[in-house]
Amino acid sequence: MSSSTLFKATVNEHLENLPKPIQSKLYEAPATCLSIYRLLPPMAKFFIMSMLFHDKPVAYKDLERICKPHTKKLQFEAFNRLKALHLIDEDQGRSHLKLHPIFKQNFRDCLTGSQASNAFGNLCTTADKHQVDVKFLDQFASQKWETILHFMVGTELGVDPSKSVLSLLKLGGLMEGPGTSPRNLKITNEGFQFLLQDVNAQIWTFLLQYLNLTQDLNMDPVDVLNFIFILGSLELGKSYTVSSLSATQVSMLADLKDYGLIYQRSDSSSRFYPTRLATTLTSESAALRSPSAAMEHALQSTTTAEDGDDASAIQNSVSAGIASAQGTVIIETNFKIYAYTNSPLEIAVLNLFVNLKIRFSNMVCGQITRESIRHALLNGITADQIIRFLETHAHPQMRLLAKEKLDKKIEFDTSHNINTAGGAPQSQVYGENGTVAQHKLEVLPPTVVDQIKLWQLELDRIQTFEGYLFKDFQNQQEYDYLSNYAQEIGVLIWGDKVKKKFFVTPEGMDQVAIFANRK
Amino acid sequence: MKAIKGVLFTCDAAVKQILLSMNEKNSFIIEDLDDYHVVIKADEEWRIRTELENELEKNTYNLEA
Repeated sequence: MSSSTLFKATVNEHLENLPKPIQSKLYEAPATCLSIYRLLPPMAKFFIMSMLFHDKPVAYKDLERICKPHTKKLQFEAFNRLKALHLIDEDQGRSHLKLHPIFKQNFRDCLTGSQASNAFGNLCTTADKHQVDVKFLDQFASQKWETILHFMVGTELGVDPSKSVLSLLKLGGLMEGPGTSPRNLKITNEGFQFLLQDVNAQIWTFLLQYLNLTQDLNMDPVDVLNFIFILGSLELGKSYTVSSLSATQVSMLADLKDYGLIYQRSDSSSRFYPTRLATTLTSESAALRSPSAAMEHALQSTTTAEDGDDASAIQNSVSAGIASAQGTVIIETNFKIYAYTNSPLEIAVLNLFVNLKIRFSNMVCGQITRESIRHALLNGITADQIIRFLETHAHPQMRLLAKEKLDKKIEFDTSHNINTAGGAPQSQVYGENGTVAQHKLEVLPPTVVDQIKLWQLELDRIQTFEGYLFKDFQNQQEYDYLSNYAQEIGVLIWGDKVKKKFFVTPEGMDQVAIFANRK
Repeated sequence: MKAIKGVLFTCDAAVKQILLSMNEKNSFIIEDLDDYHVVIKADEEWRIRTELENELEKNTYNLEA
């Protein structure tokens, strides 16, 4: 279960949800074909490669034969992705496949280098009087992007992001507020989720919002998407000519500059440089992160220096913002929480799982309740993450107290020559106490830790799956045959050999039915 | 062989007993598979979930209220 519908709209889903005619139009651009290919899972890439230079449709059987039998599940997923993107088409009998003709032609051209010369942007051949290097571009990009992020958390920087950025933040539901003045804008819940994403996911969120916006402005979405994909295949540190772009794309330049995706010295300049934010858009390493992974990231409170060498340096500076507010939280055994902080970001993170009640200028008070923890758990945050967050953000006083307690225990043990360790286990061992291995430093009250874990277990009491129940098989053979197949393609949820019944997912229903009829 | 559309409930034995007693009032179970699995009618899922939630909620004490 994901925390917010906002970030479900990843680029892949966006592409899959486009109507078929739009997808077909997209495939007319070689750069887009290449980018989409890059975004596919390895198995799907493999299938495309094996079909690419076949002029006739390829049989399912032949493709299956190349793969190892136990990879049925991966194959199934790969085919589903390709079908959703309409990259492959089945023939009448559902036994043969062929690639989308336009995609096939353009992707072939891409690989063999026979595409139109401007398909990947036109390099500027003349030397730039105001030449800029990669370091400058990285600095430019991180400065632009950081301005946006800092503005969102309300850091006083003196510079506000441009109007187009502000309207995008509002439209995307990341910030809200009356009027147009940037001072009135306040960050929303979605906005905080957004901050915890990795930088690539953030940019895609932004660009997808931008796409929605351009449709209202009567800009051609295909043109816009193509340009975004072209950006992803440009080379860092090289400049490209503006003149080879379409009118729509030229009008995008100013906006993209505001996000730090490209650098253009002035609006009338005839060349632009892509920054690292742009060139890594479709790179393979750019995995999108789930909210729980984002929380994980917030936990790694490392204060990495910004060297501007890497796009992740931008991300680091944001997490550093969280880290600087370290060691502020006090938790009592009665589940009350006091946090000596005024950082909006940290308060927002606490608000994810604490029922905050009172706010003073330098602290907030709240209570951990079953409801508040359930709320967080339902948002995809795990109990372990909550506990680790509280541990890493515990007030120094809590640590001191825990240390004292530990010392007392050890002292008691040694003076009585016994070992009383073996109480409630903590999720993490803290401190450098190499003296006695058994006792652990319990920074958080064990009752609270255990209770949070119990609340998580409580939620897992019922799990439901939609699907189909297969029963009334004629014999054991028939059951084994079908249930094994369902197992192989990874759609089997439950099965019982003796009762001869099994349950499959809705997606698997068709496959199993076809398989049953085939024999 | 036949296939029936439905929703598979995976639960612990206690929850299953509650489901069975709910079923007596208002039948929704298609197939009782074993101690931990039952298949119910697909369109009843939400009603069952909320009813079950209410039933389980009776055993908890809420501080916020």
